[in-house]
Amino acid sequence: MKRGELVEIRLLPPLVVARLGASDVPVDNYDVIVDPEHPLAFRTIRPAPTFIVDTDTGAITGVVEREPTFKDEQNRVRPVAPFIELWGRFDGGDDWVHLTADDVDADAVRWRVHVGNVKVTRRTGDPDDRIEADTGWFSTHDRLSLRGECANFVAGKSIPLGYAQFIRPTADFPHLRLRFTPGSGNVYGSNRVTSGPDPNIVDQVYDANKGRWFGYSEPTSPIPPIPAFTNPGAIYAGNDGPNNSWVSFGYLDDACDGIIDVELTAGGRTLGAFARVGAGAPAFAPDTFPIRTAADELEQILLGPDVDPADYSVEELQQDAEEILRRAFETVRLMNTAYMNGNDPRNIASTMSRQDNGDTGRAFQPIMAPTLVDTLAVLNLHQGVFTTLRSGAPPWFVTVLREFNEIGDLTDLGRRKMPGMMRNADARYLVLTRRQRDKIRLAANRTNGSSARATQTGDPADE
Amino acid sequence: MRPKFARQLQSIVEPTSPRRGAAEALKAPGGFVLPAQPPPELSWQQYAVFLLYVAAEIEHALLVQYLFAAYTLDESVVDEEHRPDVRRWQEIILGIAKEEMGHFISVQNVLRLVAAPLNLEREDYPFDSEFYPFDFTLEKLTRGSLSKYIYVEMPADWTTPPAEEVKALAREANHGESPNRVGDLYAAMIALLSDTTRIPDDFFVADTTGMQASFAEWGRNYKSGARGNLLTRDHPKTPELIIEIVDSRDSAVSLLEQIAEQGEGVGAVHLTGEALELSHFRRFLDIFNEWSAIGADFDPSRNVATNPIVDADLPEAAERDDEEPDPCDPVTSTITDPEAFYWAHLQNLRYRMLLVDLGHAFHLDGALGSTTEVTARGEIITWTFTEMYNLRALAGILVRLPLERGGDASKRAAGPPFQMPYTLELPNREVDRWRWHRELLRTSIALIGTIETLDPPPEPRGLAYLKALRESDERALEMIEKMIVAEQTKLSARKAAKGAV
Repeated sequence: MKRGELVEIRLLPPLVVARLGASDVPVDNYDVIVDPEHPLAFRTIRPAPTFIVDTDTGAITGVVEREPTFKDEQNRVRPVAPFIELWGRFDGGDDWVHLTADDVDADAVRWRVHVGNVKVTRRTGDPDDRIEADTGWFSTHDRLSLRGECANFVAGKSIPLGYAQFIRPTADFPHLRLRFTPGSGNVYGSNRVTSGPDPNIVDQVYDANKGRWFGYSEPTSPIPPIPAFTNPGAIYAGNDGPNNSWVSFGYLDDACDGIIDVELTAGGRTLGAFARVGAGAPAFAPDTFPIRTAADELEQILLGPDVDPADYSVEELQQDAEEILRRAFETVRLMNTAYMNGNDPRNIASTMSRQDNGDTGRAFQPIMAPTLVDTLAVLNLHQGVFTTLRSGAPPWFVTVLREFNEIGDLTDLGRRKMPGMMRNADARYLVLTRRQRDKIRLAANRTNGSSARATQTGDPADE
Repeated sequence: MRPKFARQLQSIVEPTSPRRGAAEALKAPGGFVLPAQPPPELSWQQYAVFLLYVAAEIEHALLVQYLFAAYTLDESVVDEEHRPDVRRWQEIILGIAKEEMGHFISVQNVLRLVAAPLNLEREDYPFDSEFYPFDFTLEKLTRGSLSKYIYVEMPADWTTPPAEEVKALAREANHGESPNRVGDLYAAMIALLSDTTRIPDDFFVADTTGMQASFAEWGRNYKSGARGNLLTRDHPKTPELIIEIVDSRDSAVSLLEQIAEQGEGVGAVHLTGEALELSHFRRFLDIFNEWSAIGADFDPSRNVATNPIVDADLPEAAERDDEEPDPCDPVTSTITDPEAFYWAHLQNLRYRMLLVDLGHAFHLDGALGSTTEVTARGEIITWTFTEMYNLRALAGILVRLPLERGGDASKRAAGPPFQMPYTLELPNREVDRWRWHRELLRTSIALIGTIETLDPPPEPRGLAYLKALRESDERALEMIEKMIVAEQTKLSARKAAKGAV
């Protein structure tokens, strides 16, 4: 069907997350679902349709649906390499459609991928420590390397940050899309070493004679804290230095994030759109979701901290409350909760008990009653709450949730609030987003007055 | 009251007034005066234990009645304007029930301290209320039942309005008899345990603390202001859940004083004069006053049957009892709806499991210890809480199912029966206690299977709950098998060691 004139374009999704991996073959698509017959079990990973891309031609050669594996035969992690799709809206219509080579001339579509890793600059403040890769504008279907270059690198050295490839539309797969493939997940080092070859690194790229990342130091616990530092500070590979400082090994990695731009000319007008891309560590527990995810953050940013009751049905709110409980017991099974509780002071791991002790001088002591925090007991408790929610009982535990302004409450009761014993990005106790909490509050606030069974006579009050 | 309890009270009861006698004998004008002698078969120490037994039963009975009343409240049966009130009332009463649970557990701690057996029992049908606050009645929340709750928690000298109205309604709801104040019993216990001439110091056994319940384990963060403000934050003046480990006469007396205060006291007061904590009495009274302001005929509860029970067998024929119950007759309402029948049995079973778990927790040492290993105590405490949640789920289902076969839930719903099991005794050996749990879980799984295969089937959310419950039970069974093996191994090792000697 002939469409009207293209008036707007978008890249969807507007944010994609790639996951590092050294394998040549990205991980297949999968869905993570809850088995309705086993509501307390792990989520189930189910195969989903996956494009097979010929990287030489840039064309999709087929679709498979097979059991995903997360490492290849050589035990290399398979990267997550997302597609970014080009969508458009035509004059006279409100619908957004995934554009094909029939809609626009693929040769006229121009892409640019610009990514960087500025972790070191963040600490040293030296703009010459920025690692960046920029493809420039392109319309070809070649697989383009994202060479991460840096002024402070040894001449001729770079860090591979992955690839970008404009997928060649074909008769079978005519849609327009770009694939971002991230780096391998390698560690890189400096041309100056303290002793012998370093088995951790794959290349010596950083020129210690130009930049100061090798040997850079931060105070481990500056008082007052220094806002420019991460919190907690000094979270890079290094060694103890003088005066409670932490001295960098000069390591670098191939994580990155950046912008994918697209432009095309239609009807004499140039249309543009962009998406964001980030490449981070692999998901080592892909069937388990954190209690608070980036999606929760984004939802709060987009929709605000308060929930409008009109936007959700009682059932939806109830499901959200269940989902948070599910994530809670999923998280619990990944933790040695007895240890996280600070029960064994002989070997002080990085736990919240230790964090409280290190940051504020609070006594190193368990957070919860020691008898209650073995993983099985904590798991059982959360599953018990989850089970009850399944009956339709409104959540009753709002008061044990930590408020966002209680993250620094180090009283016994404050430390026992939920989520328990977990650190947030600000180094203090984890809280749900305000929006997550508001959903639970609303779910608690609204009862479902329907009858457990339709009566023979029916009753309007029970409908 | 069970005859074995009443018998011990008779010695201090006025023979001419058997019903009121107990309270009168224990209370004198201006304060509490202990009788000159304990009952003939009891020493003072035994008498103190006896009063603690009675207190445990009363706290248990109150918490179940409050829970039942709260579960009958339902905002969907009132108009939009008053739904927030009903939600808040429900939350307040559930909060008070939790505090009664704290009292119940605390009294067990005192029993532990005086090296006495625990008492997790409760009066069941048929009932009598010699020394008890009022006839044990599971009933929907009415102004009458609310007045009873106010009465038992009220200070002795409460006379300001609406005292007369509340007292009259309470008497009417209690078959013409005035309920008894819980405060009288606590006054008796405090007076006796404080008396160094009657109760020697060595009555209190401090090294029982490891076998007591601690706030850290049982308190679940319910500290001052933490309850009653769940939904709206406009009712923050709630006291904390009182659960304390006691190791001396002073700490035991202090604990009992706190419990008495939480029931009827005026509570802590801020420098501004504003009450920081509201006693049960004050919170119940607030509900009463708000209810009066809306109108005496306001009915915020589902029509849940009074004293629902299930028999062992489901009657085949529809046996409809359309007669209005006689308010002076302590009736029970037999559940005959086929689906409600099985849910009710499941509710009874899980209630029993809760009490068995609670009793078992008191047999396991470790309240004050530190550990990096799985502890039986931790598991059992967790299970106890899980059963509390299950009771919430099951009550929610049962108040929406009809009492009678072919009946209409909106006119007469079943409700959770909370019937007491034939025994709460636990086997002597630890390995056999785990076998005890195993049997209860197996029974529950079988009952779940029965409900799942009913025709017509339960609603989807009921089935979803059962699936999760079954899975949870199966996991618990796996753990129990390990516990049994571990305990059996310990027993075998002990036997082998004896043989070697």
